[in-house]
Amino acid sequence: MSDTAPAVEARLLSRHYGEGNTYVKALDKASFEIQAGEVVALLGPSGSGKSTLLTILGLINQPNEGSLRIGGEDVIRDGQLVGNTNLVRRRQLGFVFQRSNLIPFLNAQDNIRLVLDLDDVPGRVARRRARDILEELGVADRATHFPVQLSGGQQQRVAIARALVHEPALLLADEPTASLDKERGRQVMELFRTAARERNAAVLVVTHDHRSLDLVDRTFEIEDGVLSH
Amino acid sequence: MLTAVGLGLLLTIVLGMTGIYNGIIVDATALPDSLRADLWIVQRDTRGPFAELSRLPADLEERARAVPGVASARSYVAHTIQRDVPGGPQIRFTALGLSWPDDHGADLPLVEGRPLSQAHFEFIVDRSLGLALGTRIPLGRDIYTVVGITEGITASGGDPVAFFTRSDAQKIQFDKSNEAIRLDREARTARFRRSQLSRNPDLARMSTAPANQIPALGPAPVSAVMLNLAPGYQAEEVRGRLSQWKDVTVYTQADQHQLILGGIVEKTKRQIGLFRALLVVISTILMSLIIYTMTLDKIHSIALLKLLGARRTVILGMILQEALLLGGIAYTLAIVLGNTIFELFPRRVAVENSDRLLLLLVVFVISIVASIFGMKKALAADPNEVLAG
Repeated sequence: MSDTAPAVEARLLSRHYGEGNTYVKALDKASFEIQAGEVVALLGPSGSGKSTLLTILGLINQPNEGSLRIGGEDVIRDGQLVGNTNLVRRRQLGFVFQRSNLIPFLNAQDNIRLVLDLDDVPGRVARRRARDILEELGVADRATHFPVQLSGGQQQRVAIARALVHEPALLLADEPTASLDKERGRQVMELFRTAARERNAAVLVVTHDHRSLDLVDRTFEIEDGVLSH
Repeated sequence: MLTAVGLGLLLTIVLGMTGIYNGIIVDATALPDSLRADLWIVQRDTRGPFAELSRLPADLEERARAVPGVASARSYVAHTIQRDVPGGPQIRFTALGLSWPDDHGADLPLVEGRPLSQAHFEFIVDRSLGLALGTRIPLGRDIYTVVGITEGITASGGDPVAFFTRSDAQKIQFDKSNEAIRLDREARTARFRRSQLSRNPDLARMSTAPANQIPALGPAPVSAVMLNLAPGYQAEEVRGRLSQWKDVTVYTQADQHQLILGGIVEKTKRQIGLFRALLVVISTILMSLIIYTMTLDKIHSIALLKLLGARRTVILGMILQEALLLGGIAYTLAIVLGNTIFELFPRRVAVENSDRLLLLLVVFVISIVASIFGMKKALAADPNEVLAG
């Protein structure tokens, strides 16, 4: 783990919906830090606020209050998104989902390159980095295969490669092992752990799967919008 | 790809309509242009001989020749013929009379054969009629031989033009069956007997003679007289002189163009123009729907791109590229298909390079307009959809 500034610093993040009888507090003054190289599991029952926190960290939704720094950069201040949100997403964030969400008409290598292309990384460099990470995740032999030609586990590896190839400060994973069996689920969690260590990325994994919690560094629990850790 | 093919077929129709419109103009003006007259004398207050019927006495040609500034005068006689060729298909053409012996058809754009070399039984015909040199066809009581072939000379209705000597053209036009001649003669004799003139034995004998031997019956009228000017004379100058004649109206070649295009072609032009506009609107709506549907199909991928931080311009650019690619494929198909099939159409389809360029511009605009609907949908894509699975 790193001794420098945390990869993620959240201060008093709150999000509520509706008014009067329909008022719902989805996230209540959540404050936490995640260090670079650290893997954190976010646990909680359905409707507890996991997705709300994930979408705020992913800069998809905006909190009503609070601030957030990612990779040492202010991205939310006093409940307002600041700076170039798209640029932060392209460079500081990586996403892995329950489904691989690979683009069906691109092959594995091009799915990975896409993230670099969006950030105008030169083609040759992008190609090399895509090949390297496919090699690292053990799916180099599937580089030219389309998503439909890959198994569930291979698809998820390619998705993880896509989330890591641009070396983000924070990797957000939403139930990444939900559709995998125990063994493959553990392999994925190990990949996160390795990636966090080797690439110095902070990883936040939303999960219901308690079978792989031994592979994470810390756990956050959330219930009725209140985060405890 | 199938979508692009469908759109390409629609654009082929747009291009075809343009070509048909151009073809109508070319067809309508091909005949007067090929005759190369400087002035046209027609029946007073008519817009003949193309836009309206005109009848002039046959001797007007001689009168016109005497006018200072007139180098040559030729009668214009034309009528449409539709006949069955023995052992062949039905043919339809416009028979035009040349002022033999002054005019042999030497000025016509012959691509095969020769001009007329005798006063009777020969004709020159446009290639689009499909008759080969040497073909002999019966018209009226005589058999005529094709001695020359022209290319691109059609009447305003698109029918190929055949050039005969004037007397042959009129003989074919006024050809009657024996029974019709007999009945005509009997009717004339009966009219004569009822009149006071029947007491004159010479007149009584003459009343039963053939029509062309009766002095009171003049030769068949002509439709117009075409004039060519002597060097050094201006059309307006000669026209001014002829305009003093109270029985005729005189037009220049430019006037004839205007009469044809403003009269015969005008309504067709508007009709085709509206039809073309309708097709362009349909193409735009169709392409918009296609792009919109294609965007809907990719909405999850677009939401993912947004989540990955794709710039707006990247996403909008993708939609535009897709629309332009679709338009480009459809346009190419329309051009290739048009070049292949328009030649097979029975009437002239004249597609110019400027029309192709204009269509390209139209397709470009359609593609941009069509992509707007897709772009609007793409911009509304919510990255949350990716998280929702």
